[in-house]
Amino acid sequence: MSETIPAPVGAPTGVIHDIGYRHYEGPRHGRGHAFAALAVHSLRGVFGLGRTARAKIMPFGLGAVMMLPAAVSIAIMALIKREGLTYPSYTVTMQAVLAVYLAAQAPYLVAPDLRFRVLPLYLSRPVKTGDYVAAKLTAMAAALFLLVAVPLTTLYIGELLIDLPGPPHTHDYFAALGTSVVYAVLLASVGVALASFTPRRGLGVASVIAVYLLSSAISGVLVGVLMSVSRDSAAQWAWLINPFFLVDAVQVWLFGTAPNNGDGYPAGAGGPFAAAVVLAIIAVSVTALVLRYRKAASS
Amino acid sequence: MTILATEGLTKRFPRVTALDRLTVTAGSGVTGLVGANGAGKSTLIKILLGLLPPTEGRATVLGFDPGTQALDIRHVVGYMPEHDCLPPDVSATEFTVHMAQMSGLPRTAARERAADTLRHVGLYEERYRPIGGYSTGMRQRVKLAQALVHDPKLVFLDEPTNGLDPQGRDDMLALIRRIGTEFGISVVVTSHLLGELERVCDHVIVIDGGRLLRSSAIGEFTQATHSILVEVEEGADRLAARLGEIGRQVTPLGRMLSVEAGSPDTFNVVRDAVCDLDLSLVRLEQGRHRIEDVFREEASHV
Repeated sequence: MSETIPAPVGAPTGVIHDIGYRHYEGPRHGRGHAFAALAVHSLRGVFGLGRTARAKIMPFGLGAVMMLPAAVSIAIMALIKREGLTYPSYTVTMQAVLAVYLAAQAPYLVAPDLRFRVLPLYLSRPVKTGDYVAAKLTAMAAALFLLVAVPLTTLYIGELLIDLPGPPHTHDYFAALGTSVVYAVLLASVGVALASFTPRRGLGVASVIAVYLLSSAISGVLVGVLMSVSRDSAAQWAWLINPFFLVDAVQVWLFGTAPNNGDGYPAGAGGPFAAAVVLAIIAVSVTALVLRYRKAASS
Repeated sequence: MTILATEGLTKRFPRVTALDRLTVTAGSGVTGLVGANGAGKSTLIKILLGLLPPTEGRATVLGFDPGTQALDIRHVVGYMPEHDCLPPDVSATEFTVHMAQMSGLPRTAARERAADTLRHVGLYEERYRPIGGYSTGMRQRVKLAQALVHDPKLVFLDEPTNGLDPQGRDDMLALIRRIGTEFGISVVVTSHLLGELERVCDHVIVIDGGRLLRSSAIGEFTQATHSILVEVEEGADRLAARLGEIGRQVTPLGRMLSVEAGSPDTFNVVRDAVCDLDLSLVRLEQGRHRIEDVFREEASHV
């Protein structure tokens, strides 16, 4: 038998205080803050952070594949004191991996907001349509840049540590790093623009990969045919149809690196032409995106 | 205090005129915006948020012009759309925090506000689960939370009771009433059910086909459409005839009779008539004013 102890009068035991509704008096930042919040949120999402475990498989798997050549090259340098994969050829060699990454992740950035109609919520907040597009592009470009820059930097650190005979390839490293910015911006704007035209992720993935496969196939076939009829200078132009070799031509022109297609790009006008085409493609893609979202905003 | 005002607001789409010279004003408190589907309610909200440019006319929201100061408006206004607008693969907490940041709140403040707001709308442990697994009632609460998370001065709620069961409807309406009174946030709530809004609004605006049918305080509304509904097991026609004899206006409404309540003793008159005729009374109630009643009445005035 337990004695009943009278509760002490006036002593609150486990009272839940309903403090009611509190107003927010703190700072309210402007468009820049919202842009940064959306870009960071999207960048995390592209790598599957803050999403399910399944969403992390693709980005991290492809990231690991991108690291493989760097690891192998470092091993080659350490064991037989020879250079493995060169910096300027890294992206061109790994182009299929980058294309798959872009195809898999660009639709994630834009399709769910269209499909689940989250877009009106973003646009009813203090941002402009252009801010939304810019944040999404920034996130995709940053992700692609990281995908290339991290293995390049790892490779460079490896080279410095192993200390091969002769000076380190610092110029090549920075040339490749600069070019990867061009790759990132070009691929991100094309990929996101293509993906934004359908709210279905599957269709987005298919359209991005189809554009890459088509351009590389057309380029490859044309080069083969033109070479077989000995029109070598025309073949050099045909290489530029593939977006990865297009940017490589810009790299050759800007940084004087060795071409990665085997037989070079059109001399003289080739480099500036490639650069102009890259800029034109970016401009067209961004314009298409802005128009697309302006239409979506008013419907 | 006037929170929003429009003057001759017109919006024409290529095929249809959504708003036709609409001139309304709304003060603080809870304002109901009533109209059938396609009456122009959502279009009006979009114009007021600065998402759509009007074809003609002017509008102000909290003293700002949606055409040129849309960003200022969106800092202090919340919007709950009519349609589903939630991504399925994030949790309610994450989503609300993100939306608070999009409204300009710093990260720590966003976290705090999101937790507070989700509690206020009635989401507890389930807020950590992905939204994909939520019921319609829970989704509506998340949609409401994202509209309130940045502590706006005014919220636009587009059909917040859509798809809810009767209990969920009551909860949502009670919540809207609390937002308008206890939270001190002005509310503009749309619905196609006038009866629903009667319970929570201070002021009701009725639009139809993009035009203003009526704008008045809720008190005036109920008086203007005062009627009593009577249902008897059989012999409704005899009752109608009897009531007609003693000078009451009676309109048959399916199995029921709608009796104009001219004076306070109408209930007694109906009761006596039913007793005299020895009929079985099933129900005797205050008439529910549906949107159609207002339309019918306004049409007869024009």
